[in-house]
Amino acid sequence: MSSNVTAVCASFKQQILQAVHNLSTGGDTLKAALYYQNSSLGSATTAYSATGEVSGTGYTAGGKTVTNGVSPALSGITAYWTPSAQIQWTSLTISSNFDAWLLYNASKSNDGIAVLTFPPQTVTAGTFTITQPANGPTTALLQVS
Amino acid sequence: MKVATTKGEIEADELDIHDVTQWSDNARVTATEWFLNGELVRRDVWVNGLRPVKVGVTCEQ
Repeated sequence: MSSNVTAVCASFKQQILQAVHNLSTGGDTLKAALYYQNSSLGSATTAYSATGEVSGTGYTAGGKTVTNGVSPALSGITAYWTPSAQIQWTSLTISSNFDAWLLYNASKSNDGIAVLTFPPQTVTAGTFTITQPANGPTTALLQVS
Repeated sequence: MKVATTKGEIEADELDIHDVTQWSDNARVTATEWFLNGELVRRDVWVNGLRPVKVGVTCEQ
């Protein structure tokens, strides 16, 4: 089993209280980076790092900018937010197993927000796409309640 | 229809196509593998995130 674990970065929770992040549309630039299996990503991850990040044709270090067309919303006692478009790499080749992506804030010292995992994959001269859950109070990618 | 592969663009009819589906707690993954004479020449992957990550839970009094 990989050492990468799906989790909100603990540091992000503190930074919420410090008003560090702005996930509103037109706010901070958020990015998604891909990581190999056993890169030890999880709640203790504090920021983007090139250690463990994938490399290969079609992949640029630091990953892709995440489209943010919908500002965080509130429903009852739950605040929530989801990227407004899929994250996609084309003409990509990553030959070793990777199983995680890190959502991080490129406008704020590359501070980590969350680690999301999936079954290990390789990609060969193809397209890699991450689709988000629906943006709602019980389904959004990121929830605060 | 031509498909871009490690061998250049190849007609889809010449390729063997296999779809693979995997599940985890967080995601469902669909991969399409394209083979030419038994050799993998393209692999596409779609990760469908299934559930949220939650920052925390507050206790109301």
